[in-house]
Amino acid sequence: MRRSRLPIWITVGAMVFFYLPIAILVVNSFNASRFGTGWQGFSLRWYAQLLHEPEIWLAARNSLLIAVGATALSVVLGTAAAFALHRFGRSRLQRFHYALVYMPLVVPEILMGISLLMAFAATGVGLGLGTIFLAHVTFCVSFVAMTVLARLQDFDDAVVEAARDLGAGWRVTFRRVVLPMIAPGIAAGALLAFTLSIDDFVITFFVAGPGSTTLPIRIYSMIKFGSPPLINALSSILLLVTFTAVILSQRISSPRR
Amino acid sequence: MKAGARKRAAEWLASGPSLLWLCLFFLVPTLLVFVLAFRPATPFGGIGAGWTLANIRRLADPAMLTVARRTLEISLATTFICLVLAVPVGYTLARISAKWRNFFLMLVIIPFWTNFLIRVFAWKTLLHPEGPIKQVLVFLGLVPSGASLLYRPEAVVLVSVYAFLPFTILPIYAAAEKFDFRLMEAARDLGARPFAAFRKVFLPGIRRGLVTAVLFVFIPALGSYIIPDIVGGPGGEMIGNKIAQRVFVDRNLPLASALSVVLILSVLAPLVAILFLQRRGEGPEIL
Amino acid sequence: MNEFLEFKGVSKRFGSNQAVTDVSLQIRKGEVFSLLGPSGCGKTTMLRLAAGFERPDTGRVLLDGEDITDLPPEKRKLNTIFQSYALFPHMTVRENIAFGLRVAKRPKSEIDDEVDRMLRLIRMADQAAKKPDLLSGGQKQRVAIARALVNRPRVLLLDEPLAALDLKLRQRMLIELDMIHDEVGITFLYVTHDQGEAMGLSDRIAVMDSGRIEQVGTPVEIYEAPRTSFVAAFIGDTNFLEGEVTGLEDTEYSRLEIAGVPDIVCFNDKAIGPGQPVFLSIRPEKIHISRDKPEAARLRNMLPAVVEDVIYLGSTTKYWVRAGEIRIQILRQHSRFFLDEKPIRWNDEVWVWWHGDDGFMLERYREVDEDLLAVPPRKVGESDGGNGR
Repeated sequence: MRRSRLPIWITVGAMVFFYLPIAILVVNSFNASRFGTGWQGFSLRWYAQLLHEPEIWLAARNSLLIAVGATALSVVLGTAAAFALHRFGRSRLQRFHYALVYMPLVVPEILMGISLLMAFAATGVGLGLGTIFLAHVTFCVSFVAMTVLARLQDFDDAVVEAARDLGAGWRVTFRRVVLPMIAPGIAAGALLAFTLSIDDFVITFFVAGPGSTTLPIRIYSMIKFGSPPLINALSSILLLVTFTAVILSQRISSPRR
Repeated sequence: MKAGARKRAAEWLASGPSLLWLCLFFLVPTLLVFVLAFRPATPFGGIGAGWTLANIRRLADPAMLTVARRTLEISLATTFICLVLAVPVGYTLARISAKWRNFFLMLVIIPFWTNFLIRVFAWKTLLHPEGPIKQVLVFLGLVPSGASLLYRPEAVVLVSVYAFLPFTILPIYAAAEKFDFRLMEAARDLGARPFAAFRKVFLPGIRRGLVTAVLFVFIPALGSYIIPDIVGGPGGEMIGNKIAQRVFVDRNLPLASALSVVLILSVLAPLVAILFLQRRGEGPEIL
Repeated sequence: MNEFLEFKGVSKRFGSNQAVTDVSLQIRKGEVFSLLGPSGCGKTTMLRLAAGFERPDTGRVLLDGEDITDLPPEKRKLNTIFQSYALFPHMTVRENIAFGLRVAKRPKSEIDDEVDRMLRLIRMADQAAKKPDLLSGGQKQRVAIARALVNRPRVLLLDEPLAALDLKLRQRMLIELDMIHDEVGITFLYVTHDQGEAMGLSDRIAVMDSGRIEQVGTPVEIYEAPRTSFVAAFIGDTNFLEGEVTGLEDTEYSRLEIAGVPDIVCFNDKAIGPGQPVFLSIRPEKIHISRDKPEAARLRNMLPAVVEDVIYLGSTTKYWVRAGEIRIQILRQHSRFFLDEKPIRWNDEVWVWWHGDDGFMLERYREVDEDLLAVPPRKVGESDGGNGR
């Protein structure tokens, strides 16, 4: 049966499409030229200059702090939510719960950003790192919950019965059987939450207030008002970090055979 | 009924924290937006007392309508192009061997993990008047040398397709993977030509993935902020930019809320439609 | 008094589904006891009641005289082999087997010895460090068995353990289970829908349908002396002929009229009186067929018939014949092969006969499920004959 090669060509084309801009960015980060319009020789000066930008380090530190904190809290809330949705899924409470957890995944970020801004403004809460933290937890909870929930749905309930059949009470069963089996799912959720938090711009932009900056906000102002080569260098570093994180996450979460 | 009461207590204990948090930081703020849309603004960026329809009336301004129309057009164009590209890619991925498949899936997923701003910025560089793409196009004689590729709606569509394509490919791939390709062979056996089989058997077969893919593009596209802000310019502004301007430039929170209400409703519309069709048993079950 | 595991009048309902109704069973120590029946008959529910995953609505469960009805599963000295094996995926074979002993906080040296003993029993000592996802179906099953047996349970509960295996493997595992039972001597409560497994393995069988026990007995009793039409139809093949008792032949036999054919004789152990409707059930292998008319004999039923279908199976042949309005299935074994014997073919006129002892009468208190009867499809355009279904 003769199959059209068209789909394959489109696929290859799509892959090129994905990576071309990134490739050009990385290449340009080593470009000695200021304007990126012509190759003027290999140079590391932009990376060197990055090291002397204290504002960038401050922003990076803030991003990291918030990401770690938001991940920790959202993992706790999200895992509990996933358990509730899995165990009690039929009830009306859980159907409302599911809708509530699902919504942040589909609404555009700008809506979440502006609604939180309104809420903070109306209650007189000062904008800063604290409000950023609260906002990040809010959208991370949904992602963690959905990730863990997907894992729970693959869970073989007979295994829990087997543990009880062999003499283990609820506590031992949870500790020795359930937790180790869902740990990869929780880890995957945590990694997802961490990445989303580090990367978030729109929601953070709305609730950050004048004083505090995170890495994405810094990048944004650099894009608007700063020098392109610096952004290239910073972006390349971030790409490397992300790349490593993705490889790690593939190793951690056991692939389903 | 001791067991029943214990079960209910456990349910509340497990759902409580996340329910509380999401109600407090998601549900209530969203409702607040609806409320604030009907309040007047004070000159210094505060919220006045009393109720008014002034903000709603401002929505009918020609400028606003233009932005609304443009937002819709850009979102529809993006959705359409993404679908056209994603279906062949998902089809291919579902048919190739497992080894290549994981490799390509990784390739598709990696951009998702990189910083969104960076990727949009990369396009800004690429589409720059003195950038490589412009030079190639001028060389080929496709565009006059004075034209700008940036700061127009087409640029927004292009970069949006770039940004949302992975989110379209993945659900279509997921549905294609579950599709029984022998149905295509059966269709061919009964006399259908390849493209007809594709249209009449494959596409309906992955209906659920198609709907998910549309939702994953159309709704985020409606609420785009970053892309039109960086590569759209004044000619490519979308509703998200207008909302931000009302907040940061005019300090007019109620008007921003009114705009947000429009956006919320236009986002809810397709979701509600799908839910409704699902309830009647006609739509694909993806929610 | 060697009832070991006992169910006393247990009932269980799930929502609107009455899974088990007023069932009482006594299972003896050391025997292999099977619960046999179609899906939905309640056999798995019975097993779960024994294991403790369900509580009966009424009735009690006793183990060695002790009432365990209110004990949770982890406190009962019974262990279950699950249909999906339910091995712990994050533990090795060794850790899986050791789980019950570790939970019971036995000393490490004792655990190691017991686990090694089990690994030798299931012949998997060299796979002890593997995780379950690397094992085949048969290996997983053996690990599941070892994991249960190492705790020396009083009763081993097996929930359709061979259902997920393919045919050859199933046959092998059946023999292995038999061997394990002989070696270990534990009481088995075995649940299955496959009569081959039940008949081949069990000391006694309880046939269940729709939440009730139809009959309890040894495999021979179940096969040769079914008490209800369900048991007769579910186990093996049989002919079901509708008729009516017309009179008594003597104290032990009755005369029946079947579809207009009078004076058919049958052994009557069920005290069914004249005028009552019955099923006459005869197993196909008990009926003889030949071209020549046999000699008349006491208690011998003889009918002239026409051959409608012949299915040659190698060691046996199945015949479908029609005698008047009656359709009869016959299974004949070829114990000797005569080169010059003319084989019986379609449309031949033959004689069929069977001994009155070999049939059994069953009360027609319920319709027999069509799927349980091996009736040949009606030829296109033919109407319902009148007997069987």
